[in-house]
Amino acid sequence: MALPSSESSSSVLRLTFLAVLVITLFLALFARLWFLQVLAGDRYVELADSNRLRTVVTEAPRGAILAADGEELVRNRPALAISADRQALLNAAGDPVDEEAERVIERLAELLELEVEEVIERLGSQRRSPFRPVPVALDVTPEVVFAVQEQRELFPGVVPETLPVRQYPQGTLAAHLVGYIGEISQDELLRPEFTDYRAGDLVGRMGLEQSYEADLRGTAGERVLVVNARGDVLDVQRDREPVQGNDLVTTLDLDLQEATEQLLEDGILASRSIRRDDGQLLPSTAGSAVVLDARTGAVLAMASYPSFDPREFVGGVSVEYFESLLDEESEDPLVNRVIAGGYPPGSVFKTATGAAMIEGGHITPRGQVECTPAFELGGNTFRNWNRGVNEGMMDLSDAMMRSCDTYFYALAFDQWLAEENAEEPDEVVIRVAERFGFGQRTGVDLPGELGGRVPGRQWRQDYWSERRDTYCRQAEEASPGSRAEELMTDLCRFGGAWRGGDAVNTSIGQGDVISTPLQVAASYQAIANDGMLLRPHLGKEVRAPDGTLVRDIEPEELGHIGVDDQTLAVLREGLERTVMHPRGTGQSAFAGFPLDQIPVAGKTGTAELRPKVPYAWFAGYAPADDPEIVVVVNVEQGGGGSQTAAPIVRNIMAHHFGVVLADEAEFEAGDEILD
Amino acid sequence: MATDYGQDRRQRQQRAQVQSRWMEVYDPVRHLDPVLVLTALALTLIGLVAIYSAKLVALSAQGLPPTTYVSRQLLALAIGVVVMVVVAVVDYRVVRVYAPVLYVVSVVLLGLVLSPLGTAFGGAQRWIVIGGFQLQPSELAKLAVLVVVAALLHESEGTPHAGVVLASLVLTLLPAGLVFLQPDLGTSMVFVWSTAVLFLLGGVQARYLIGLTLSGIVGVIVALQTELIEDYQLLRLTAFLDAGDASAAQTAAFQTRQSLIAVGSGQFAGKGLFEGTQTSLSYVPENHTDFIFTVIAEEFGFLGGSLVLGLLLVLVWRGLRIAILAKDTFGTLVAGGIVAILTLQVFVNVGMTIGIMPVTGLPLPFISYGGTSLIVWFAMIGLLLNIHMRRF
Repeated sequence: MALPSSESSSSVLRLTFLAVLVITLFLALFARLWFLQVLAGDRYVELADSNRLRTVVTEAPRGAILAADGEELVRNRPALAISADRQALLNAAGDPVDEEAERVIERLAELLELEVEEVIERLGSQRRSPFRPVPVALDVTPEVVFAVQEQRELFPGVVPETLPVRQYPQGTLAAHLVGYIGEISQDELLRPEFTDYRAGDLVGRMGLEQSYEADLRGTAGERVLVVNARGDVLDVQRDREPVQGNDLVTTLDLDLQEATEQLLEDGILASRSIRRDDGQLLPSTAGSAVVLDARTGAVLAMASYPSFDPREFVGGVSVEYFESLLDEESEDPLVNRVIAGGYPPGSVFKTATGAAMIEGGHITPRGQVECTPAFELGGNTFRNWNRGVNEGMMDLSDAMMRSCDTYFYALAFDQWLAEENAEEPDEVVIRVAERFGFGQRTGVDLPGELGGRVPGRQWRQDYWSERRDTYCRQAEEASPGSRAEELMTDLCRFGGAWRGGDAVNTSIGQGDVISTPLQVAASYQAIANDGMLLRPHLGKEVRAPDGTLVRDIEPEELGHIGVDDQTLAVLREGLERTVMHPRGTGQSAFAGFPLDQIPVAGKTGTAELRPKVPYAWFAGYAPADDPEIVVVVNVEQGGGGSQTAAPIVRNIMAHHFGVVLADEAEFEAGDEILD
Repeated sequence: MATDYGQDRRQRQQRAQVQSRWMEVYDPVRHLDPVLVLTALALTLIGLVAIYSAKLVALSAQGLPPTTYVSRQLLALAIGVVVMVVVAVVDYRVVRVYAPVLYVVSVVLLGLVLSPLGTAFGGAQRWIVIGGFQLQPSELAKLAVLVVVAALLHESEGTPHAGVVLASLVLTLLPAGLVFLQPDLGTSMVFVWSTAVLFLLGGVQARYLIGLTLSGIVGVIVALQTELIEDYQLLRLTAFLDAGDASAAQTAAFQTRQSLIAVGSGQFAGKGLFEGTQTSLSYVPENHTDFIFTVIAEEFGFLGGSLVLGLLLVLVWRGLRIAILAKDTFGTLVAGGIVAILTLQVFVNVGMTIGIMPVTGLPLPFISYGGTSLIVWFAMIGLLLNIHMRRF
């Protein structure tokens, strides 16, 4: 070697230094590669797939909802829409990509008569797939479409489309039953039942649209595209055509539905001109009506007043309209009161309590009790509705006909005493009322049904333990010696006790009993149908778009009301006499109705909800000897049942049986004239 | 007196036999390094497959034959092999003598690149077109600077004084500056790095090395402060630091992010040849040149990536071995310098694709598409062979 040995060793040392450096750098590369590919590889596989695959969803046309005769309540119609490619016009931050895009948006805004900000906001809706044009305006005029088509160069990225939207050939008819659809919310997307939904999907928001969502929805078409970095589509990995949703055929009788809605509204409006004894007009703020098929439980008509216009919800409801619906003055038009209105049933509950008293062994169907003007209990006076007249001895039939409260008071008190003395109280009213369908949901195929309540000892105890602290605090805060202090102290100490007064109140459907018009209708349907309670339902069958039957929705027995034949016969006799006996509480409303041809059975109810004007009830069925239909009407603050509710029922029945009444809108003045 | 018969003749014959045996032993052709050559060829073949795979979809979409790039690269390979043989045959000491000529030619060519004769692409002016071929003089200049500085240090016989160090610096910074103006920050760094390693190996005193390192750091800071480095270069340099957040395609982090996805999604065994989606669908930019490693890592996984790095490591090993065996300082310096350039380019290039180095336009030796680069790398292999053959 030419180099001296010291130089040589220095050279080797320096080369070793280089070698160590080189190997260190290579090791760093190996280590990083191991981390990326082996340890973190799975995550990058997902990222790579989300890079290259784009899913384009084609919405499936939703199924139609039909009346029993096949008439369409809701269907799809093609709507002209102006959509735009978000990616072409907006950047990731939601601003126009360049000046050209800005001008396109300005032109679009002018054409659609919208604010520029509004167009940008609609375009920027992140709820839509970036690979589908975003609808900016729905139901535009053909002129707008022509303008875009003829001046393509002015509107790059803007496309006229035809989108399926909901259409209501019957207008507002059956709005509560049909419901409406809306875009699925973020919260809903997280719920298990919506796992196969994606943002921007439409979902049933109310009524049958909601309860038959799975049938109506159909299956969205899905194209999975392989795209490159520029967004060019290179290949179609999967292509699934959309499958139109199935049609729902309902049990609704279109003609009867129309009549029921009209007659309910007419009746409510007419009752507002009735003066009460104090000179005030009846408020009759709202109401509801339901017609069931007595043999199947099928809903033939269901109306809730006030109502709303589902057409306003097409393509997204406007803020103003939605707020007007939520306004306190407008009496909750979105609520279907038949299933979601919880009211004390008042006297229409007496069928259940009457049967309970017999089952409790306090009386026989023909056993008699004196119908006194009032019932004294522990210093409190529980009066009969008729104020002061002793109507003499009565059996169950008479008590129903005259709606005698004191008959029920006396028996309910006996029952309460028996329960008090028993080791394990057998609360027969709860038991029987539940068999009649009260205190639980009927299971009707509509969302948002209320379960109602039949109160008893357990309920009282639970209710009290929840509120006890409040009662006790209020007792302490009340001024000493006041009425409030007395009441609150009593509630604080003994509020959990189920007292005789509670039992007495419950026996006439007052106090803490809560029921929906549909529960009442179901219980009367059971009476009309030899005691068999059926599940009320609106769905009749599901049909494929080509008309083939997918499935039948069969009537479903919920159970027998569990009363013997004699009791049932006496109950039915009482209901018949209520309408058809000269002294029946419902008789006056049915004056002029051809009862000799179409006998009617029914029960009036006047539910007290102080300080409000009483709620009017009437529940009945016809023909009484071979029941076809059950009709229940409730009018909030409509006064007496015979005064406001019974005439509406009468008119609905008249319509159904094709009876022409001399004077349809015949209402009587006065204050709670007949229960 | 020696006669031509009897014992003399026998002894002479024996001596001739021994000499002949020794001559055979010392015959340069008998001291080729087949491992070195075969490794270089293997890497080039892998590169050809990767280039084909990278451009298959994009070229087909354009209606071009998918072999467009591969056939050009094959031509470069053929030229490269010829160049390698030529460089290996001529004694490297001759190369040392002619190093200044090579250097002057390179600098002139670099000057031409910046003149109106140069060809710009993607914001950088890096090529000149000669007879239908694009030549990238900066690749040639790498070799020229290496050889000329090694020759200078060789002259000073292991104890270079300040004047030699200064001259080397000037000789390095002139082409580095020209390349920087193209602008090609990555390649200009290669010149600096290669000379720095030559200083280390060439016996430059430690205090000079430390002093130069410090002034280099100061220089970088000044460059950043005075905006000598263009904004996009700075962006690219810093983008890898925050590659974690999902940014839009336009931002500088996009390249790094897509590259990471490509490499990571290859997992252990890869997606298979032509099955890489990130690279073939053009999510990774420049996937046949600077980002070629992503194609290999995506389609052949950790195994494929490791194989390529392993083969490059074999080159490093052979290079270092040759540096140790070389019979003179020039040989040691050239071999060591080649190893240093190779390592830097591999580390910066692969490091860039896996997010530990900034995005700079340095090709991956033997693999990346680019004729000049491939030919120059085969010339370097020729030089290594040359030094290895003539080590006695």
